[in-house]
Formats: sequence, C-alpha cells, structure tokens
Amino acid sequence: MLLEFTCNGKPVRLEAEGSMRALDLLRDLLGLTGTKEGCGRGECGACTILLDGSPVNACLLFAAKLQGRTVLTVEGLASLGRDGDGKAGAPAGEAGGASLHPLQVAFLEEGAVQCGYCTPGMLLSAKALLDRIPRPASAEIEEALSGNLCRCTGYAKIVKAVLRAAEAMAGPRSASSSADARGHGAGGGR
Amino acid sequence: MSGPQAGSEKLRVVGARVRKVDGRELVTGQARFAADLRFPRMLHGYARRAGVPAGRLLEVDPQPALALPGVAAVLLARDIPGPNLMGILPPYDQPLLASTEVRYEGESLALVVAESREAARRGAAAVRARIEPWEPILTVEQALSPESRKIHPGGNVTFSRKLIKGDAARAFAEAEVVVENTYQTSFQEHAYLEPEAVVAVPGGDGRITVHASCQSPFHLRGHIASNLAVPAANVRVVQAYTGGSFGGKDDVAAEIGALAAIAAVRLGRPVMIAHDREESIIGSNLRHASSIRYRTAARRDGTLLAREARILLDGGAYASESPFVTMKALIHAAGPYRVPHVFVECTTVYTNKTYCGAFRGFGVPQVTFASESQMDELARKLGLDPLELRRRNALRPGEGTATGQVFAQSVGIGQTIERIAQRAGPRPAGQAGEGGPRPTGRAGAAKDRASQGRYLYGRGVACLLQGISNGAEGIDVVGASVQVAQDGSVLIGVGLTELGQGSRTVYAQVAAEALGIDVGRITVRQVDTDAVHDSGPTVASRSTTVGGLAVLKAAREVAGSLRSMAGRMLRCPPEAVRLEEGFAAVEAHPQARIPLSEVATAAYWSGLPLMHLVFSRAPDASFDHETHQGDIYIAYNFGTHLMDVEVDRWTGRVRVLRHLAAHDVGRVVNPLGLEGQVEGGSLMGFAMAHLERIDTEGGHIRNANFADYAVPSILDRLPTETLAVEEPSPAGPFGAKGAGEPPVAGAAAAFANAVADAVASVTGRRFTRLPITRADIAAALAKEDENG
Repeated sequence: MLLEFTCNGKPVRLEAEGSMRALDLLRDLLGLTGTKEGCGRGECGACTILLDGSPVNACLLFAAKLQGRTVLTVEGLASLGRDGDGKAGAPAGEAGGASLHPLQVAFLEEGAVQCGYCTPGMLLSAKALLDRIPRPASAEIEEALSGNLCRCTGYAKIVKAVLRAAEAMAGPRSASSSADARGHGAGGGR
Repeated sequence: MSGPQAGSEKLRVVGARVRKVDGRELVTGQARFAADLRFPRMLHGYARRAGVPAGRLLEVDPQPALALPGVAAVLLARDIPGPNLMGILPPYDQPLLASTEVRYEGESLALVVAESREAARRGAAAVRARIEPWEPILTVEQALSPESRKIHPGGNVTFSRKLIKGDAARAFAEAEVVVENTYQTSFQEHAYLEPEAVVAVPGGDGRITVHASCQSPFHLRGHIASNLAVPAANVRVVQAYTGGSFGGKDDVAAEIGALAAIAAVRLGRPVMIAHDREESIIGSNLRHASSIRYRTAARRDGTLLAREARILLDGGAYASESPFVTMKALIHAAGPYRVPHVFVECTTVYTNKTYCGAFRGFGVPQVTFASESQMDELARKLGLDPLELRRRNALRPGEGTATGQVFAQSVGIGQTIERIAQRAGPRPAGQAGEGGPRPTGRAGAAKDRASQGRYLYGRGVACLLQGISNGAEGIDVVGASVQVAQDGSVLIGVGLTELGQGSRTVYAQVAAEALGIDVGRITVRQVDTDAVHDSGPTVASRSTTVGGLAVLKAAREVAGSLRSMAGRMLRCPPEAVRLEEGFAAVEAHPQARIPLSEVATAAYWSGLPLMHLVFSRAPDASFDHETHQGDIYIAYNFGTHLMDVEVDRWTGRVRVLRHLAAHDVGRVVNPLGLEGQVEGGSLMGFAMAHLERIDTEGGHIRNANFADYAVPSILDRLPTETLAVEEPSPAGPFGAKGAGEPPVAGAAAAFANAVADAVASVTGRRFTRLPITRADIAAALAKEDENG
C-alpha cells in the first residue's frame, strides 16, 4: 500500500506492505535503526516511538497504522547536522551538546546511559511525559517509564536525568523548584 | 604505597565525573549495533532448535525448508568444515550444530539461510528432525547417580575441585559454636536488552569479517577460524556496539559468529544471525543454580575458627565457563574473613538443561548468599550484632585469605564496614501507613510494636570479596596502543570490549591524565582483532585494572616521545617538560609553553615514534591445584552492603527503604561510572534474590520472555547509595581496582538477610533459597498466622 506520513519532521511517501511491523519499516525501509528491537512482544519498550506524540511499541504496530500520522524516532530528537557537541567526553557539568535535546544532554550528564540499547526508547517515553507534564514528580516518571526496561543502570540515574531535563526545559529558575527530587538512588556519595 | 602508578599525585581527570565518551552516538541513535548493520545482498540465518531436552538425533531433513521461497541454504553439522566444536577450555564439548545427540532443548540442529529473517524463520520451522527422545537428566542428584546415562563421554561431572586450608574437621570437632544449613539459588538469565547478533561478511581476498555483539572478540576469532578450517589471521572480528553482556555474549557469540561465517563463505554473501528474545534466553548460558551445604565454627566471642562448604552447581548441558566458575565459587566461599581452617568442595555437573557459564559475579553471588546467611545465623546464635560479628572477623592487610594469599595493602573490607556503620543510622521501624523508617532510640521495643501491625521491618548486612582479573584462570595480559596524530589528537586501542560498563571512558581518562590533554581529544576505538593485541576475554572486572594499566603505560611511552621533542624545542631536558592542558611546558617557566599539536607535528618530522603498543601483564597466579592454596588474584574488591526493608505481612510485598553499598575500589577513576556499576549491579543482585528465576519443567524453560521472567522495571529500583573506599592497589592504574561484578553478590546477600531479619521475628525461620519471592514471603507469613 502507499503510505504517507510525517517522520521526524519530514514527509515520507513510500510503497510498503501494510501488514509489516512499523519497527521493520522504520529500520529496513527508512534506515532508522536507532529504534531497537528487544523482545518483539511489547514487553521491553526498546522500540518505543512517538506516534502523534504518544509512546507506542513499534514492534506491535502495523505499518498501515502510520498512515497520515506523525512519527518521532530517536533520530529526530536532536537537530543533527548543526553539531555543537564535539566534546562527547567532556566532564559532567560542562556546557556541551548544544544541539542535543535537553533529555539527551541530561542522560549523558547523569550517567543514565550504559550500553545504550534501551536509551532511544527511554528517551522517547520521557519526552512524551515531559510534553504532557513539564515538571513531573518521581511517581509520574516511574509510571511513564515503567514499560521501558533497562538492564544496566538500575534506573536511579534515569529518574535523575528526566528530572534534570525537566528543570533545564523549564528555563533558568531557582533550584528549589516544584520538581519532586526525592528520586530514589541518591548516589552521589563518595 | 609503591609503584609508579599508585602515587598520591594530584590528579586532574582521574577521579572526575566524566560522562561517557561514547555516549553521544547512543543518545542520538547513531551507534550501530550488530543488527543495525546492512550490507548489499545480505542474507539472514535462523536456527532450527531441538525443542526436546535429550535424545538421539536420527535425522535432520532440510528438504522441506529448501522448498520454501527465499530459502538459500540449510547448513547441517556435516557442512561445518572444522571440528564443529566450541567451548572455553579444551577439550571442547559443545557442537555448533548437533550431529548425533541432543543435550538440551535449545540445541541447534540446522541453520536455515534465507533472503529475509521471516523466510529463514519459516524455513527453520519446516526443517524436519527425527529425534528418539531420552528421559532427560534434570537434577544434580540424578546426574551424579552412578546408574544415570552419561550426558558426555567423560561422565556427568563437569569439573570438581577442593580448597583445603588447615584442618577444618578438627576445628569443628573442638568448636564452641557451630551453625549449619543448606542454601539454594536458581538459574538467572542475563537479559541484556540487546539480543545476540552477528553479521559475517566475506571479503574478496579470502578473508572474512564478522561484526558481532560480543564480549571477547579473540575468543570468537579462534572458534570461527577453527570451525571454518582457515587460519585465524584470515578472520577479522569487529565488535559492534554491544547492548549489554554481563558475561553472556561469549559462547553464544562464538556459536552464531562461526555459523554465520560458514554460511557466508559457502554462499559468498553477507549473513546476519540475530536472535529473538526466546532464543536469547533458551539458547545462551545462564547463571548456575546452586545447592550449598555450609557450616561455620566459631568461638563464643564470634571469632571464626573454621568454615566448610560443599557446593553443587547445576551447569546444564555444556561446560562453557563452568570450570572457572567452580574455582571462583570455591575460592570465595569463606568470605572476606580471617578463617584459619577452611574446607570447600565445589562440583559442577551436566544436566539436560540450558548450559550455564559466565554471569556477572561468576559463582560469587551464590556462595556469598550462603556465607553471609551463615554469618547472620551465627550472630543470632551468639546474640551479637551482625555488623559487629563481621567487624571482628574482617580480613586485615598482612593476613591470609582462604587461599593463604597475603596482601600488604588494599584490603579495605574493614573500612567498608566502618563506612556502613557510620552511614547506617537507626534501624528501620514504623507503623502501617507511615511509609518509611522512623528513628527510634528503642529499636527492639519499636520492632515488637511494629510486628503487631501490618508491616515488618528488617535490616540486613552482607560482606563480600571478589577477585579481580583472571587470576587462577590463566595468563593475564592486556595490550594497549596509544598513538598521537600530528594535530595532537589521540587514538587508543585496547583488546578489551566496551559493553556499557564505561571502560572506553576509563581508558580515555587514564590517557588524558598521562598526556595532559582533554578527554575530548581522545578516541578509544572499538575492538577490531586486526588492530589490537589479543588481550584475552573481557571478564572478571579486569578492564579498569589490567586494561587501564596497559593504557597508562602506553600513554607514558607516547608522552616520553612528546617530552623529548618538547625538550629540544624548549631547550631543556625532557624530564623538565610537563604535559598539561594540551601544552608542553617547562617546569620552571610554565609560561614558556608550546601547544601539543605543534610538538606532535615536530616529533613526526623528527622521526620520533608517535604510537606505542605496550603490554600490561599481571603476575601469574601460583597455587597448589589440589588445595587451592597460594597467590591467586592480583587484588580483591571488598564490599559491605546494608539494606533496610519493610515487609507487608498481608501481601508479602517488600519495599527497600535503604540500600548502602560500600566498596573498596582502590581508586575511583570515574565516580559517575562507579555509581552506575554499583546501582546496576545491585539491582541485578536484588533481582536474583527476589524476582528472577528461570523456571524449568521437564527440561523446558517455561518463562523465556519478559512477561513471565521478571526483569526489574523502574518501579523496582533501589535507593542505592554508593560509598567508595579507596585503598590503592599496585595492580591497577593510579591504584584502581575493578568494580563491575562485586555489587551483585552484596545486594543479593544483604536483601536475603534483611528479609530474614524482618520475617524471622514472626516465623522464627530464614529463607534458604533464592529468589525469596513475594509469594514465598506471603506463604510463610500466612502459614504462621494460621498456626498462631
């Protein structure tokens, strides 16, 4: 079938089997391999994309369902090309990642990425949350990310990263914000 | 402190919170994992698996598969040019494709290669296999029974060893106090988010390149070459970005790497094999299930006199890393204590189940659970505080471990206990609805009150040690190359893999420190067997320690070239040159400085070497193989964990209120990375103790998916607080020791002790089997309520 939809801000028009998985369409036909397959059954969230702003598991979605919709994958999260973040290994806290989305910067700064395989899905679930609730409490972060498994980090740094991104996106404000900073895993101690 | 690396010099980059050097490509989706790679005319492979746990393989008929559209070929055992064997220690016992016998349900019988993954999968389902089923051998007892069928020609014992220190039997006979119990742990799945994947690409030059999600690329190269019957020099393994491994992507990566390579060479086209989740669980190794009979003898003041453990590990169908896991369990069973008499026997057996092998902790979580349960049982019997009992027995520098090895420094177990004691605060207590610990001066009374209500509170502590690097497992060498380009940027190659643990960042920090440059000027390449030295497997928490030391040495060689050149340019002796902030400067006149790029360019034009390959070789282990007495590890990571829990009597639900994890890591290279290892490893240990269990029935895994196998979600995360103790070790760069594995054992054992503390006040009994699930707890408490 002829599919027309918007992907990462650009119009897409292509001929595809409507019964193929949206995950395969993105990865195999559009070359957007940032969306990962972890289980193929909607249990791990690695293939999370945003469909009209809502997180969905691309492994459970027929390609036909993309018709006329707006898709965001991890590749569309940052404005790549205008790369201002040459300092991938810059010490945490240093300004860097000008062209990255605040969530991406926060995930790097807080150490919320280890192997990185769950990261694209985690970022997109977090983005959908922040679009809906700009200053989420820990419980709201938990709920929004409970469908995204991570085997490396133990999650505490992911919660901190989302809180940090929320803070950054809210603009320069006093640190004592409404954000619930009791996120588990104080870490930090040395 | 001795040695050039264990100094107290002011460090600039080592010790700083540096974000992952390979993080940007991961958050933007640009990093290419193996299944993300695309090559023209690429085919897909999918294995037909046995589906029965044991039997004689009578026939595998590929014809029905070959008749299907899109199927290009079906590989059988007879199509494998080499010996069709893989493993860790010769003689290898595991076939790539079974030829005569089925030893576990996940056994691959044929590889179907097709134009698409879907076509390959359909083809695999169509392959006809005739198997004469045998009664599977499913328990350790069954396997050890003399009448049992032999799973392998040599019998059903995979590996068995003893550790003998002093005379434990006599010490038990004379002891004032003895505690004794049997403990069990279950199979655990790695559950890395990325299932295993490889792509083999035949070259036009007789060589083959295999891109792999893998942990030990040289291990792959060896098995691919031997099974293809080509020289290893003609095989190139490039590690793709790897989505977690935790010990798991070794044997299985070799298996699918070799199969894909054989198919690719045969068909002259690239071949990808990417596992689905079910295959990943059934068809790759697990953590060994264990049964441990343990007893401990002590004086009435708590002084340990002797410990004895008889450990049985269920290793499943193939040996994999079982011999080394057996040894590691044996060596660590007595804990981080001063114990004059120790007897441990550890035996791993074959059963007709998914094979077991390396998994973060490597036998140590199982024995630590048993050892630390014993310590609590002893403390209870003696009326001692559990932490105090451990404090009295903690190993000190100059005292012998269970193997009699003496470390003069970097024995920080005592400091981790003190850090925990200082940070612990009052015991947890509270009433229903209060939702958290409440400080109370009269802990005992408060606890009695609490036990009348809905919630029970408990505190558990656990101490552990974990040997760093290969030790008894053999030669321990890492090669690292550091090269500086004319623009002053630096490329590092190390033969150990980044798996998410942050080793590339550690290497960049170590080199940045030695060269006086910014981490951003350094690139650490992924492992390519064409480009780095065979450095053995990426295991045993050895990357920071042995790998980091190799990088440090290589960087210092390069720094030497730069200093020589700068000395000529600045008209001073090379020793007077300092490399800092991207410049070469004269020590006495810091304002006289030259950018490193200019120095590097001049060095190039002067013919000075700008790349060095340097080896770090750890001292060989030397020990008696009959008794395991001797010097086995270059260092140990020591740790103490504390966990406070609230148990809901009605539902068995456990809430972790506090989790402290203190580890002696020698020197913190990157606090961000260390916390990540401790938080992630702890959750994995917690999951082993509370959530995860591979369930088998009749030799079949019943929960080979994430709906039924309970990988912790964000709702299960722990309030982990990482406490770093820094007792520098000469074994690693700037005194650093590895930290990847140890938190697993600490969190698992502390959880078990915390739950025991909470529940024992009602039931009077401990749980002795991991995981202690919510259902187990609810059932035990319900039974007690019924009786009471």
